[in-house]
Amino acid sequence: MKKRTLSAGTVALLLLATVSLPAAGQTTTFTARSGSKMRIEGTANILHPTWQIESPIIGGILEVGPGFPTEPGQAVTPGKVEAKADVFIQVRSLKSVKEDGSHYDDRMDEVMCEHLKEAQFKRIFYHLTELTLKEAPRTKDAPYVFDAKGDLTVAGVTNKITMTVSILPLADKKLEITGSTAVKMTDFKVAPVDINLVLGHIKTGDEVKLIFKWMVAQPKNRGAAAK
Amino acid sequence: MNENESEGLGYNRRDFLRGGSVATLMTLLGGVELFAQTNAAPAGETKAPVVKIKVAVIGLGAWGREIINTLGRLPQADIAAICDTYPASLKRTASAAPGAAQTADYKTILDNKDIKAVIVATPTFQHKEVVLAALKAGKHVYCEAPLAGSIEDAREIALAAKAAKNLAFQTGLQMRSDKQRLFLLPFIRTVALGKTALARAQYHKKTSWRSMSPNPEREKALNWRLSKATSLGLIGEIGSHPIDQAGWFLNALPTAVTGFGSIMFWKDDRDVPDTVQAVLEFPGGAQMVYDCTLANSFDGEYEMLYGSDAAIMMRESKAWMFKEVDSPLLGWEVYADKAKFYNETGIALVAGKSKAVPANDQAQPAQPDPFTDTPLNYALDNFLRNAIDLSAAAEDYKSSYGADDVEGLMEHLGKVPRRAAAGCLEGFQAVVTAVKANEAILSGKRIELKPEWYELS
Repeated sequence: MKKRTLSAGTVALLLLATVSLPAAGQTTTFTARSGSKMRIEGTANILHPTWQIESPIIGGILEVGPGFPTEPGQAVTPGKVEAKADVFIQVRSLKSVKEDGSHYDDRMDEVMCEHLKEAQFKRIFYHLTELTLKEAPRTKDAPYVFDAKGDLTVAGVTNKITMTVSILPLADKKLEITGSTAVKMTDFKVAPVDINLVLGHIKTGDEVKLIFKWMVAQPKNRGAAAK
Repeated sequence: MNENESEGLGYNRRDFLRGGSVATLMTLLGGVELFAQTNAAPAGETKAPVVKIKVAVIGLGAWGREIINTLGRLPQADIAAICDTYPASLKRTASAAPGAAQTADYKTILDNKDIKAVIVATPTFQHKEVVLAALKAGKHVYCEAPLAGSIEDAREIALAAKAAKNLAFQTGLQMRSDKQRLFLLPFIRTVALGKTALARAQYHKKTSWRSMSPNPEREKALNWRLSKATSLGLIGEIGSHPIDQAGWFLNALPTAVTGFGSIMFWKDDRDVPDTVQAVLEFPGGAQMVYDCTLANSFDGEYEMLYGSDAAIMMRESKAWMFKEVDSPLLGWEVYADKAKFYNETGIALVAGKSKAVPANDQAQPAQPDPFTDTPLNYALDNFLRNAIDLSAAAEDYKSSYGADDVEGLMEHLGKVPRRAAAGCLEGFQAVVTAVKANEAILSGKRIELKPEWYELS
């Protein structure tokens, strides 16, 4: 009998199919859209008490199951919801900014890339593992508030994080997802920045705050993808 | 300054001659040397791997070779190709660009998808053809100043560059990228000089401006600057830099220009003056006097700004401030080191080395040294970095949001931070001024410069 072997392409297709299959029922896919913003804020020394870096690009995909609020004012039941998300940020797209949002310093950008090991790890990843709706919004325009559990990978090191996220369904099948959480950079084996700039010496603290607004939308022309 | 007075201060003529530097001279005159400093990583500090970009240089005259040499010192420059129609120029430049492809046809460079950026250093009248083709081919473009020999050609270049939002375009007005001058800009813009009354710049060099050539055809091609038909003369090829700089510092465009020019010394077959002078009027009454001669080299090349409280002199990568005795105290003086020069107090400003650092932040590593690189170095560095950043931003956007959202991509690219550089508008406006100043010089007349001439639309 002839032994059957699977080609690499077949294996990849099977894997893709496995990953793409919904857990149950109908899933809706959202992909990243412009209008997003990732901001990382930290503390520093007295001369520069705070610092911040920002990226206007957050990529990734969100898949949600039935019962997930995709329309404004949609009735929902608090509790766990079916959702998967894989989110990424290009490390090099993070730029130091002043408080007014204007660019701060090239050298600071370079040092951030060095500390985040950009040469090895081009992206910061977030993988959502569990999403729980805390309560139904009290008004039609209010966002849906969730507890999100997931894995955050920075500079190649993964840690589990929990945070509160708000999801606001918008017109045109868009979602505005906002949230924030604090992490310690040393948990990701990222050393504090300690450099001299023209604007003075800066030494950053360990704890940073991640603040994001992630815009996603259902692909145009297809609407909710029934699988 | 007489000998007795200078002896009392520990300086005399012999010391000065032994020192022999412009800095020594300016210090003795009571000048305050103004330093900027680099942001380079101090020795021992780790650095991220350098992102390189493949770049080609088109046009290998003396300035093109200077560009090649400067690129050779920039870590992000990967010189992939050099181009000149004259084989001897290619041969002469090859050793400074080892490994670079050599071609006589710039179109082969534009066809090479790996080359992302081109630097155009051809004769001015050839810029338009090369730049428009390069932009069309999707290359980041650095075009030497002046952008063109006519306002119409400059407008065409600038409009094409403005439309190519995904590409970095830079005009070679390198002073606008120079760290020393960027450091001075806030001083001048915040009226630290008081009421700026006058700007002055000179270029004095005893040189024919003529290049040696082996045959008549090559002679004509090589010495295009000596013919009115192909050159804006001294005011365009040299004067456009300090004139643009004066307008930049004053934050204004000239409103009128009067010029004079003649062939005083180099009476060969040239028809462009070897000695020119222009007076440019700026809004509010400030004037700039520019003079340039190829007949005498006294005092070389420098630029001045004269205000009611102080004057600033800029020479290459150095600058000094000369304060008036009745000028008010400036805030930064409190933090600056002071020294006696003749009968005035000189105020040293060395960024990062002043007493401005609070006592609780003193325990810091040594500051980087004040910068010493040339304006061209900074201009090319900024161009390459801007090109790299713009390419990266486009890649990141497409990888995150897909390639279909062209409008969003262009909006995003418009917000990417750019390093200081003269863009297409500044390049165009410099040509408008240069063309009209050249007209004024050749006609000996005053020409009013209409604001709408400077609009790019």
